[in-house]
Amino acid sequence: MNIAIVGTGYVGLVSGTCFAEMGINVTCIDINKDKINSLKKGIVPIYEPSLEEMVIRNLNAGRLSFSTELVSVLDSVDIVFSAVGTPPDDDGSADLKYVLEVAKTFGKHINKYTILVTKSTVPVGTANLVKEVINKEIKLRGKNISFDVASNPEFLKEGAAINDFMSPDRVIVGVETNKSKELLTKLYRPFLLNNFRVIFTDILSAEMIKYAANSMLATRISFMNDIANLCELLGADVNMVRKGIGADTRIGNKFLYPGCGYGGSCFPKDVKALIRTADNNNYSMEVLKAVEKVNSFQKSILYKKLKSHYKILKGKDIAIWGLAFKPGTDDMREATSLVTIQLLLDAGCNVKVYDPVAMEECKRRIGNVVTYATDIYDAVLDADALIVITEWKQFRLPNWKVIFKSMREAFVIDGRNIYSPGELSKLGFKYSCIGNRNCEI
Amino acid sequence: MKIAIVGTGYVGLVTGTCFSETGITVTCVDIDKNKIDALKKGIVPIYEPGLAEMISRNISNDRLFFSTSLKESLLGADIVFIAVGTPPMEDGSADLKYVLDVADEIGECIDKYILIVTKSTVPVGTSEKIRGRISKKLVERNLDISFDMASNPEFLKEGAAINDFMHPDRIVVGVDSPKAKKLMERLYHAFLIQNHPIIFTDIVSSEMTKYAANAMLATRISFMNDIANLCEILGADVDEVKKGIGSDSRIGKAFLNAGCGYGGSCFPKDVKALIKIGKENGCDLELLRSVESVNQNQKQVLFKKVVTKFGKDLSNLRFAIWGLSFKPCTDDMREAPSLILINDLLNAGAEINVYDPIAMEEAKKYLNDKVNYYEDMYKVLSNCDALILVTEWQEFKVPKFTYVEKALKSKIIFDGRNIYDKKQMQDFGYEYYSIGR
Ligand SMILES: NC(=O)c1ccc[n+]([C@@H]2O[C@H](COP(=O)([O-])OP(=O)(O)OC[C@H]3O[C@@H](n4cnc5c(N)ncnc54)[C@H](O)[C@@H]3O)[C@@H](O)[C@H]2O)c1
Ligand SMILES: NC(=O)c1ccc[n+]([C@@H]2O[C@H](COP(=O)([O-])OP(=O)(O)OC[C@H]3O[C@@H](n4cnc5c(N)ncnc54)[C@H](O)[C@@H]3O)[C@@H](O)[C@H]2O)c1
Repeated sequence: MNIAIVGTGYVGLVSGTCFAEMGINVTCIDINKDKINSLKKGIVPIYEPSLEEMVIRNLNAGRLSFSTELVSVLDSVDIVFSAVGTPPDDDGSADLKYVLEVAKTFGKHINKYTILVTKSTVPVGTANLVKEVINKEIKLRGKNISFDVASNPEFLKEGAAINDFMSPDRVIVGVETNKSKELLTKLYRPFLLNNFRVIFTDILSAEMIKYAANSMLATRISFMNDIANLCELLGADVNMVRKGIGADTRIGNKFLYPGCGYGGSCFPKDVKALIRTADNNNYSMEVLKAVEKVNSFQKSILYKKLKSHYKILKGKDIAIWGLAFKPGTDDMREATSLVTIQLLLDAGCNVKVYDPVAMEECKRRIGNVVTYATDIYDAVLDADALIVITEWKQFRLPNWKVIFKSMREAFVIDGRNIYSPGELSKLGFKYSCIGNRNCEI
Repeated sequence: MKIAIVGTGYVGLVTGTCFSETGITVTCVDIDKNKIDALKKGIVPIYEPGLAEMISRNISNDRLFFSTSLKESLLGADIVFIAVGTPPMEDGSADLKYVLDVADEIGECIDKYILIVTKSTVPVGTSEKIRGRISKKLVERNLDISFDMASNPEFLKEGAAINDFMHPDRIVVGVDSPKAKKLMERLYHAFLIQNHPIIFTDIVSSEMTKYAANAMLATRISFMNDIANLCEILGADVDEVKKGIGSDSRIGKAFLNAGCGYGGSCFPKDVKALIKIGKENGCDLELLRSVESVNQNQKQVLFKKVVTKFGKDLSNLRFAIWGLSFKPCTDDMREAPSLILINDLLNAGAEINVYDPIAMEEAKKYLNDKVNYYEDMYKVLSNCDALILVTEWQEFKVPKFTYVEKALKSKIIFDGRNIYDKKQMQDFGYEYYSIGR
């Protein structure tokens, strides 16, 4: 089976590579020439564990190729995936410019039955728009070529993308004809052999599922953050509360970690977009609006903790560990680190940052307004406080004695509850975390 | 081991009976003399599958006793549970009157060490309040008796209470002394050896856990109701969405059913109470406020659908309602969506026939003679312009549709719980309205 994937970003590259790994012939397309040229040489532009070796393996096996031209492969493929970006517009709705461009190219150039599957996260109803665009283009050509559209939202997580794609909880496929269902079943059969569930549904519901899933996950986080803040006020320990409610099988124990807010390229964008879709249809998503508000409040919580400790922040030297919105990626979109850094700078602090992977990305975004440390120990040198924002594994067991000596004030604000308060206080640190004021000693 | 349970309502009775089932000697105490007299004869005042047999079995084995005297019940007891009601007050906070009354009474009659366990759902900090009340009484009595407090919130669900109690996902126990912990371990010994985990924590966190759990469950429901309403507008099907997101192991399948709002004695009350606790402590629980307001709207969603179909003026129309209790397998009518629906329909001038397999007697307390009660799920339909399903009792799931259409004036069904197959209903020729699809 031959397929093409248009848009070789995070999702496109991972999907394409994984399909190739399963024995399918894949061409990944992107308009970005530099990206395609590097990829042809096996150079992977994003950070994702074990992706590069998989790309190289499949390049060498001849199952994975890269191109800047969709038109050149269109006649030889059965299915085209659209995995281009859908960045949020100013008003929070997803920008469909790229998605519709792909549809246009598709409609202009197909010569036989082909399926266009949207993998990008797109608002409910987009597949219908895509269909219209294609129909219009085919009509303009005076031709009568049959095609189908389908929706196959992607649920991979950056940092664990390969594993998520190769062994997903489920694959959601929205179709409207038996023919497209058959072809997509064939495509996903190698995955089915390993007992993964493919859930076929109608297209609108498939589109909705992606937003609803991310929105529910964001809801779990904001819920726990609200509870954590209340626990702090009342003297309860949110970690115990988490265990207590997570043991309820109706709730489940995953995704209940309080912290300093969610970021990244998906949750904030998808939550905003769903709110927007509803607003456009005169319905107000009350729960999600609250989820959003709680999250933006939570992103400033580390700063507030620092402020309530020092009162006056001007001239303080603050160390930050972790810039990426979560471990295992260099993605800093909507990251709490950016909000925190801005607040610290506005308050007149000197900020020194360290992240094992996202330093370049941070430089690209904010340049030299902060100092970039060489390692975790360099970051805390003469610092008045250490703020931990991303729970990278390498932050978990640092040499606290060295850190204690290096810091001007041994004060740690732990935005991800990764340290044991008892241990730190024994060493003489002041410590503050999320949702447990009793650990603040 | 001997224990006393004060407050023999839903929770107290189930708790007491189940503990006695594990071999512990239990006295259930209540101020309601009629209730206690009835129970002594094995007459159970609430509907709960399997409970009546279990009670009479343990009464005849001399392990389960009923009394109106707290003092006598405390003689020789190692542990006393407080399981009295904590109804919501006007402002949403829990009314602690009954709990604190019991605390005073305990303070007035203990004469040796005892462990006092709060089982009622009480605001964070209440166990501390109870401790204060008891200490004060002991000072007044000039006694120097040590005692401990513990918190052991209850997670049972009405309708599945016995099973929930005997096979819990988890038991949460808040303690602050080793002695109390040991006593609670002994009490729950039968559960421990069956590998039901006990999560020991501090008292405050334990109190919080109860509210947080109910609040999270309510959040799932309101979240899904919001999604359902949007699905309806956009043409997606919320049941498909439920399958799709439920298969994400981080989300889970349970508790994602869209419907006509949550009710009952726990969710509405606990969500309101937690919001209040937050407010009193300077924390605006915004998310929960939205959960609450979505639920208020959702309880009117069926009425709105009826109005869309029939217009604002419903006089000369008659509707049949299947299901009155706030959920199946219980006769509990507290905050039930059926009450709001019926009220709205009546105000619009409609006539109403109702049927519920269990909750009819209970419903009469709320609805008096404002509606017509029927003892048969098909007879209730006769001469009605539409059927409205509010509670998803098992017997409604595969009804004899031939009887339904014979009885109804026109084939119109409003399904508040999405229990019927949409396609099938259309094939059968019904005008079928459901939630979010
Ligand atoms: N990143 C994630 O974790 C993730 C997870 C699930 C879903 N998604 C969704 O998948 C979609 C893609 O996300 P991403 O993170 O991979 O984006 P990305 O920005 O990393 O990649 C998009 C790529 O598409 C290319 N492109 C744009 N227009 C094109 C065109 N006309 N022809 C060919 N290529 C074109 C761009 O050059 C870019 O390389 C988005 O809708 C996103 O919401 C992302
Ligand atoms: N019903 C549930 O599904 C459920 C589940 C978990 C937790 N809870 C919580 O458990 C508590 C009890 O709930 P319930 O539904 O069993 O209440 P209920 O109203 O059914 O029972 C309360 C009982 O306490 C008795 N009582 C009141 N004052 C007393 C006193 N001074 N001495 C002795 N008895 C007294 C009343 O007569 C009544 O029988 C509440 O806090 C509730 O929130 C209930």
